[in-house]
Amino acid sequence: MKTINSEHHLDLTKEDEKVYSTLNLGPTHPATHGIFQNILTMNGETIVGAEQTIGYIHRAFEKIAERRPYYQITTLTDRLNYCSSPINNIGWHLAVEKLLGVETNKRIDYMRIIVMELARIADHLICNSVIGVDSGALTGFVYVFEEREKIYEIYEELCGARLTTNLGRVGGFDRDFTAVAIQKIRDLMKGLPKVLHEFEKLLMRNRIFMDRTINVGAISAERALNYGFAGPNLRAAGVDYDVRVQEPYSSYNDFDFVVPIGQNGDTYDRYCVRQTELWESIKLVNNALENLPEGKFNAEVPAFFMPPKEDVYSKMEPLISHFKMVMGEIDVPEKEIYKAVEGANGELGFYVVADGGRSPYRLHFRRPGFIYYQAFLEMITGSALSDAILTMSSMNVIAGELDA
Amino acid sequence: MEYNTLLQELKDKFGDSILSADDTADFFTLVVASDIIKQLISFLKEEQNFIFLTDLCGIHYPEQEKELGVIYHLHNLVENKRIRLKIFVTKANPQVDSIVSIFSGANWMERETFDFYGIDFVGHPNLKRILNVDFMDYHPMRKEYPLEDATRSDKDDRFFGR
Amino acid sequence: MSEKDKKYTVVEAPEGYSAPGFFATTLDKAVGLARKNSLWPLPFATSCCGIEFMATMAAHYDLGRFGAERLSFSPRQADLLMVMGTIAKKMAPVVQQVYEQMAEPRWVIAVGACASSGGVFDTYSVLQGIDKVVPVDVYVPGCPPRPEQIIDGFMKIQELVGNEPLRRRYSPEYKQMLESYGIKIDK
Repeated sequence: MKTINSEHHLDLTKEDEKVYSTLNLGPTHPATHGIFQNILTMNGETIVGAEQTIGYIHRAFEKIAERRPYYQITTLTDRLNYCSSPINNIGWHLAVEKLLGVETNKRIDYMRIIVMELARIADHLICNSVIGVDSGALTGFVYVFEEREKIYEIYEELCGARLTTNLGRVGGFDRDFTAVAIQKIRDLMKGLPKVLHEFEKLLMRNRIFMDRTINVGAISAERALNYGFAGPNLRAAGVDYDVRVQEPYSSYNDFDFVVPIGQNGDTYDRYCVRQTELWESIKLVNNALENLPEGKFNAEVPAFFMPPKEDVYSKMEPLISHFKMVMGEIDVPEKEIYKAVEGANGELGFYVVADGGRSPYRLHFRRPGFIYYQAFLEMITGSALSDAILTMSSMNVIAGELDA
Repeated sequence: MEYNTLLQELKDKFGDSILSADDTADFFTLVVASDIIKQLISFLKEEQNFIFLTDLCGIHYPEQEKELGVIYHLHNLVENKRIRLKIFVTKANPQVDSIVSIFSGANWMERETFDFYGIDFVGHPNLKRILNVDFMDYHPMRKEYPLEDATRSDKDDRFFGR
Repeated sequence: MSEKDKKYTVVEAPEGYSAPGFFATTLDKAVGLARKNSLWPLPFATSCCGIEFMATMAAHYDLGRFGAERLSFSPRQADLLMVMGTIAKKMAPVVQQVYEQMAEPRWVIAVGACASSGGVFDTYSVLQGIDKVVPVDVYVPGCPPRPEQIIDGFMKIQELVGNEPLRRRYSPEYKQMLESYGIKIDK
């Protein structure tokens, strides 16, 4: 079988055209969860080459961020990996806190851990159930989405929005966890293990699922590191790199959790790594909730925190500081930082170059989805079309993160 | 591995091409000449264990003589150290060696930097635009171009404070 | 079980004249009644609004109650194009192509602020509303709209479908409108 250089698949000779066919997978396709296009050159059902096109949802986040003040960029970060928005929001707030040199107390850190792990649970629930849907098993998806509704209710209690949460503030939160929110989190943590066990019984040791996912879309650890993989995809290949352990932020080092790794880097390993991380996240949320210390829910960052409205309307200094904040006269040091957090897909990084003004001079998002999707070509060459679909959904490519 | 010993080794090997080194930022930042970047990254990967390319992005400083810059973030996973490398080129000759042969992950990151800033990566297998439409004729992230589409007709700038 | 014990609601009958044994109404009302309760949507989900649509189709909010149980990704078999999410300028020709491939009668609902008018993203790469390329029937604002809002938009489409005159798609004004968008009319 002739191997085709994947960047120039269109140079097919007349003889080749009798053997190879071109299939356009996307940009609108039910199985690509997001908009990206793959033009596949196929020999029957086997893929011999592909050409990837992305950018169908390019919204120019980095250019917009050069016009927005720091606290308005949170709304942009929501829309990066929109299945787990709070992780992006809190990661951005951590980056700005690193820029300003702000320390948060333990209560804020634990609250942030609870919110981030809930977001991680939500994202892994979508990814794993969608692997099931793409292999034909739709039931798991419907059962698991009910749990996601409960997580949405918790977000609504905390910040008012379901999906694009814009949660928290630089330096903490704008309000404390209410008793209703804590009760909802407890109820969810009590009910989630039963649903997860049911979901696992459907898929994890299911003969059909295992046959469809073992040795499908495998990548070795060396190639994964060379590409810059991070997150569950890298851990499934066997490298235990987790930003929460390597560079602990937000008091993650107070907690004891397992970082699961796989062996082959194939679809089944990615599914199992995400499933195990779900269990670890449940443990983390329970631990953080039980040991939640007392304290204030926001740190002292007067430049970013709007004073309470009653004070703004009655006293002079809060009125002035409110005005200055909204007009954008805040003192930000002139330096550049890079801050990474462990998103649901891997190392989500923020590179901020600040020039002392109201908006950053340059903001670059290190988006894990963009970086590991490059390896998709290598992972599917030589496999069948249905394997390519499963590989794509197990890599959890979210279009918002791809294109920014 | 201490940063001072690393800096000494780099100075021994590359001499004047290391233009400046800064340890006061959040991690070690080096500004180097643009022609040695490929050997430098190769040296850091093979001999200093910086096996992970975290990020590659561009930047534009219109008031400098060398306006366009490329910024690399590398990560030594073994000893948990990060390093930032910066190179600057002029708008007239924005050629930079591509590091795709060292890190495959740089492929799309260099295409994105080309798309946004117009930096020409010599040796890249497929340097085309990646995020914007193919027929776009300017490089949008440069500071002289506006954010909004100049041809839009439905939004009145007076109401948007522009 | 007698008539009075019914614990379920049936669809409201359109206006007409009824007497024992028959019910007389106009043809377009009868056809509209059938069409509006069996719309097959084409989910054109691009970004965050797509996830809210997944939540709307899931068991909690269940769009299937309204007859939209069967999602069709093939344009020829779909009635309603639901554009959910930001449409970039790179994607605009694809939206127009998908709309052209749909068979009459077809309706379009723009879900979310980005599809309606560009949303937050007033940039060089985002199309400021899909009504620049396809004719839109209902706009659902929100970022993202709650599932209840999406269902409300869907119910407004149902109202439009139920009251549409049968000859609308053949009228010269309709053809003129399609030409103004640059949409080729299939014979």
